[in-house]
Amino acid sequence: MKTEMDFEDLMEEAYQLPNGPAKLGFLEEAARVADVNGMVEEAYEARSEIVDVATFCGYPMKALIAFSWQLGKFDQQPELYDEETLLWSYKWILGKMPDFPEISREKIMELLEDFGARFKSYGYSERSYWYYRFRIFMDFGELEESGRSYDKFRTLDRDFMSDCEACEQDEIMRYFMLKGDDEKVLEVAKPILKGRMSCAEIPHLTLSEILMPLYRLGRTEEADKYQVKGYRLIKGENDFVQSFSEQMEYLTHTNPAKGIDVLEETLVLATDHEDAYAKMLYYAKAAPLLRRWAEEKESEGYRMRLPASFPYEGDPGDLLKLADYFVEHAQTVAAKFDQRNGNTHVSSLIQ
Amino acid sequence: MTASNEYRFQVNLSGMIQILSNHLYSSPKVFLRELMQNATDAITARTEAEPGYQGKVRVELTGTGEQLTMMVEDNGIGLTEADIHEFLAMIGQSSKRGQQALLDGETSFIGRFGIGLLSCFMVSHEIVMLTQSAKGGPSMEWRGKPDGTYTIRQLDTQLSPGTKVYLRCTPDAAHYFEPEYVKEALFYYGALLPYPVTLYHDGAQDVVNSETPIWLTDPALARSRRAEVLAFGERLLGEQFQDFIPLTTASGRTGGIAFVLPHAVNLNAKRSHRVYLKRMLISEKAENILPEWAFFVKCLIWTDELQPTASREHFYENEKLEEVRSELGDALRKGLVDMAEGQTERLQKLIRLHALSMKALAVQDQAFYAMIHRWLPFESTRGHRELGELIDEGETLYYTGSIDEYRQIHHVASAQSMLVVNAGYIYDKELMAKLPMVLHNVQSEQLEPDEVSMTFTDVPPAERNQYYDALRLADSALQRFRCRTEVKGFKPEELPVLFTLSQESSTLRALEKASEQSTDLFSSVLDSLSSNMSSSAGYSTLYLNVSNPIIQRVLTSPDNQMTPIAIEMLYVNALMMGHYAMSKQELEVLNQGIVRFIDWGLRANTDRKGDA
Repeated sequence: MKTEMDFEDLMEEAYQLPNGPAKLGFLEEAARVADVNGMVEEAYEARSEIVDVATFCGYPMKALIAFSWQLGKFDQQPELYDEETLLWSYKWILGKMPDFPEISREKIMELLEDFGARFKSYGYSERSYWYYRFRIFMDFGELEESGRSYDKFRTLDRDFMSDCEACEQDEIMRYFMLKGDDEKVLEVAKPILKGRMSCAEIPHLTLSEILMPLYRLGRTEEADKYQVKGYRLIKGENDFVQSFSEQMEYLTHTNPAKGIDVLEETLVLATDHEDAYAKMLYYAKAAPLLRRWAEEKESEGYRMRLPASFPYEGDPGDLLKLADYFVEHAQTVAAKFDQRNGNTHVSSLIQ
Repeated sequence: MTASNEYRFQVNLSGMIQILSNHLYSSPKVFLRELMQNATDAITARTEAEPGYQGKVRVELTGTGEQLTMMVEDNGIGLTEADIHEFLAMIGQSSKRGQQALLDGETSFIGRFGIGLLSCFMVSHEIVMLTQSAKGGPSMEWRGKPDGTYTIRQLDTQLSPGTKVYLRCTPDAAHYFEPEYVKEALFYYGALLPYPVTLYHDGAQDVVNSETPIWLTDPALARSRRAEVLAFGERLLGEQFQDFIPLTTASGRTGGIAFVLPHAVNLNAKRSHRVYLKRMLISEKAENILPEWAFFVKCLIWTDELQPTASREHFYENEKLEEVRSELGDALRKGLVDMAEGQTERLQKLIRLHALSMKALAVQDQAFYAMIHRWLPFESTRGHRELGELIDEGETLYYTGSIDEYRQIHHVASAQSMLVVNAGYIYDKELMAKLPMVLHNVQSEQLEPDEVSMTFTDVPPAERNQYYDALRLADSALQRFRCRTEVKGFKPEELPVLFTLSQESSTLRALEKASEQSTDLFSSVLDSLSSNMSSSAGYSTLYLNVSNPIIQRVLTSPDNQMTPIAIEMLYVNALMMGHYAMSKQELEVLNQGIVRFIDWGLRANTDRKGDA
């Protein structure tokens, strides 16, 4: 019976799987078995994997829970564990913190300082601290403060604990996107689009991000190509819910029927997503798409195929009502972010 | 304005070769492929000019030790003096065209010829090329050294059209010149070439590629030549296959054989297919030529419509490749569908070995799912069964979303003879969720662990009323664990209580547990998440089994002192039975409870002795 597997079996089983909920299930089970049997180092190992997998498949809360546990253990007996691996994952955790509206601005700043202090104590470059400060202020919608950190981190040396160049480039691009400078966005995106910079998540993220800037500049022919290529890279992946929202936004303008395909194919991933921010954006972009689609002749009598886990009770053929449902959810969540951030940055993003 | 002079970067050829060998090519052994490629390109060019022309390639090994030499000869189009200058110019100058063309893989025949020739410097310190163009002109000799110096001269004699390349082996490359190695390599690269490649050594001669299989031009013919195809696959791919599916694209310019792997494969295993471009091997590790889900086959693909990268080892990820990939995927899918319609046994055998691959495709493709659903295996409370058998039970198919949830309930669920599928394995949850969309008369429903209670027997209100005092005591005892009690009748009777947890309260439990273990800062962060949740998160439930004798006693004799402790102990016992990791508070309850029961036990014993 598979349900009585021991720690090694569970880890073995997990290692054979690609990232996703199934793998996470095995790892959590392994951590539980280790906990129950008092195997602290094994429990730590399983949680390292959980942090890694959960971060990249849309479970930031699970990642945070596992990481918090690890950090507690690490502080008790730092000599037992590898600090580089742990502090590397601290970056992922920190980067996701602003996506939880329940976590206050003060707490996030405290975490940033804790992170900076830990990096400093191991002699890592301060660049990571400033880079994450840049990102966090972007998330808060405080572009001036973010800009100051941007100027600062670029003068500091990279080291082996820095994020990869492709990821940094993508964040820089996001900064100019928030500033509304489409030309600059595309200039920054160039090395990624040319394939000179890439990593596990780049160009996947970038290809969806640049769609609207290209559209606004009237370069839809290029955008169409990137849309196809980008969607192929992210299709079915939990990690890219925000990218799906960008795909839908673009397709709302250019090809609503195709947008509806994207919505139907990806809604199941967005519905039980743990990242409130990504889910909010997704819901916010789904609504105008549905409304646009409702104007098309083809949409007459069309009933949306909604996943069983989607908690909407209404008629799936009433596209406008469904759109209202999405908007309502997005606005409620945006209000929470606004309250946390003390401004209207997030709600203005989904207008 | 000061006058500026224009200079040209000096390209260091030996540095360039270093770069080529380390970055462009995966290994020095590719020099042989490059020579073969040059030879076949030259023959192709000549065949285009003279239809019906019969090409041939001759490879000869002579000498030993420092004299060990390889000669590769083709009877193709040959090079004129101008051609030679052109390819040298392509390599030597960092002209924009040369650089960019190299990167884009769009170099001309001549340009590629030169780059291919350069790769020989990885195994030889001197390359001699004798060539005669089919267009006429004098025969030429080119001698090149890795330091970038070379000589060109006209030969006095007139050679027949074609090109010969001589390589003098460097000491550390001797194993690339072993006759056995060369023979295997020639077969490996040129097995599909439509003209003979012959190896001459030590007075022997071997045609390395015997007759070209007829099904290369029409893969459908492979069906009637099973044994031949399987044998060819074994020789080329080194595995004993038992089944295959022929592939073609609509244009007919790409074809192949998808050999079904005779063993199960790991999901993370590299999908490496062997691909021939214009009948020459281009890649043995092509991953991007078939769709993701096709990891149950190893394919032999031949194509003339894809564009190779500069190293000629991979293809450019462009729209053409996208199109070919999806067409090959369709062909493979069609092969499976045909099996489902006419040869179900063959398909069942395939699914037994490659269930994961089939599930991966079924998740993406509902029509396919509908076609093969019967044979997909699942784990359930009725054992490991095929989906068809489970459907035939005619019940709603309940499934759990994770193996953890399944573990929590499967004993109890089987005791109530409830059909539950463990959908915690990869693809299973999606498949279960999609089942009603695919088969209209089948119901499936995700089961949360706390919903297993729906199969329990209710206790009538009148009876429940008798337990009122005991239940009130129980609820207040468990309040601090955010747990409440419910009385139900369920199997097995020996099980006094069952603890269940909704997904939300399970997250909450995890948050609290991590918070106990973490640093102050992170604890406070986790607390802000859990305080936000606990208002909405449901309580967990401790089901008291009314059919169990101990529970009967607990329920019928409420006692302000005993009942809370008994309930607390039953609660921690249920946690242990469910293999839940316990919080500090729960461990304390366990410890105190044990001590207290020992105390009572001993006291009762002493009291009895005192009576005596």
